[in-house]
Amino acid sequence: MKKKVIVACGGAVATSTVAANAVVDLAKENGIDVEIAQVRISEIASNLPADLIVTTSKVKRDFGVPLITGMPFISGIGVDKTKAKILEVLKK
Amino acid sequence: MGIIGDAINYIIDMGASAMLPLVIAVLSIIVGVKVGKAIRAGLMVGVGFVGLDLIVTLMNENLGPAAQKMSENFGLSLNVVDIGWPGMSPITWASSIATVAIPVAIGVNILMLVLKLTKTINVDIWNIWHMTFTGAIAYVVTGNFAIGIAGVVVHAVIAYKFGDLYAPLMEDYFELEDITVPHGTATYLAPIACTVDAVIEKIPGVKKINFSLENLQEKVGVLAEPIVIGGILGGIVGLLAGYDFKGAFQLGIKMSAVMVLMPKITKCIMEGLMPLTERMKEILTKRSGDSEFYIGLDPAILLGDSDVVTAGLIFIPLTVLIAVIVPGNVILPFGDLATIGFFIAIAVAVHKGNLFRTLISGSCIMFFTIWIANQAIPWTTALAQSVNLTGGASQIAALDQGGCPITYLFTQLFTRDNMFGFAVIGIIYVICMIFTVRLSKQRAAALKEENY
Repeated sequence: MKKKVIVACGGAVATSTVAANAVVDLAKENGIDVEIAQVRISEIASNLPADLIVTTSKVKRDFGVPLITGMPFISGIGVDKTKAKILEVLKK
Repeated sequence: MGIIGDAINYIIDMGASAMLPLVIAVLSIIVGVKVGKAIRAGLMVGVGFVGLDLIVTLMNENLGPAAQKMSENFGLSLNVVDIGWPGMSPITWASSIATVAIPVAIGVNILMLVLKLTKTINVDIWNIWHMTFTGAIAYVVTGNFAIGIAGVVVHAVIAYKFGDLYAPLMEDYFELEDITVPHGTATYLAPIACTVDAVIEKIPGVKKINFSLENLQEKVGVLAEPIVIGGILGGIVGLLAGYDFKGAFQLGIKMSAVMVLMPKITKCIMEGLMPLTERMKEILTKRSGDSEFYIGLDPAILLGDSDVVTAGLIFIPLTVLIAVIVPGNVILPFGDLATIGFFIAIAVAVHKGNLFRTLISGSCIMFFTIWIANQAIPWTTALAQSVNLTGGASQIAALDQGGCPITYLFTQLFTRDNMFGFAVIGIIYVICMIFTVRLSKQRAAALKEENY
């Protein structure tokens, strides 16, 4: 089944593009079919429902969907841990 | 000149927006990206440029005349539309200086790290466009390539130093350890917030004021979305311009389209640059194993903080209001409205989330930046014309990055056409910097105390 992932950042241009690419590559490697919605943080609510939200900044608001910080994709530090967390949600 | 010289001239003659795709593809191949992927990346950059011209034309042809009519009706002067950073960044990337700006900015960073002049390792290649902007403007205004490169260097040095200065604020407020944002926009305006904070601290009574707007984001809902902001703003400008309901409604829908499509198009350029920037990031972060360094990231990572979101929402209408108040202002804020957070994100950290203070310093910041952006209109227009990305407008303005004091001061140094403005902005900025260094030291000391 296709999983929907919302990838959000401040401007929907720079950091979310990096994070979205990382999520797509990760899903491909693991044979998971994903659909990405790359948006600004203010647009998350309108793009629900989804299976997972990945944001490149800390978002405290609860959307009722698993939310993972994709900041490691930007900084390059702790990428493996984040990938594992994302896979855990997507494999459910 | 021979064959090689002719070839180089031929490529340069194609225009920057055709040249950069080629340069990006070649550079990508050089750093080890696969040929097919590199060609795709280069083409994607070209797609971004073509798309941007389409969208800016759509904006200028529709919002431009409406803004003019509105101004006539109300005795205002807001007839130059702000294209914002989604519009200004592609124009900057298309400038001839952009191709050398990336290695120059990275080189400055490495040199400063080696000489222990900074602790910031900037992996945010996309935002090198801010540093490039200063160089591109200086080059287009003076016609001297060396001055242009000097502009990139100066802006880069200041940005990395800002990265060091704000590192304690990133840790104590945003809880981001060993991370900072050596960014073009967010950093250079925060010194104003540092000054406002120091002044408020001295005023009895006022220094105790604080309020918060819990859950403003949930309450305003879709109103905060770019698509709705564009629609409302377009509709209101249409009505104020004296259009009938039909005309205003059509303008609103077109502006919704601009708001939604603009970042999607700018994203193409980011996508094209990505294979290159990802490789650069790998090379740069290899050396950052120990915690003696700060990793420099895009301030987009701050825009999810709820206090930043709340302040950003309030500043959408407030910025339009400030634009009306600034004496002699001709810019109608538009392209930057949905991401005002970039201007005030660090101010929020300076005030530790005190919304009252953020409103005051944010107003000063927007006033200051709108004022500078006005003086920079001839320069931003010249830059856009030099790369054929004016979208049919006779004047181009952008709050982000036209309102940059670093660009302004650096370029004025060589043109000297407004010494009064140069002196006033220079003095204000130097004073603000003193307060910034002071605040950074205070916050770093407080952090140290906490940790022991």
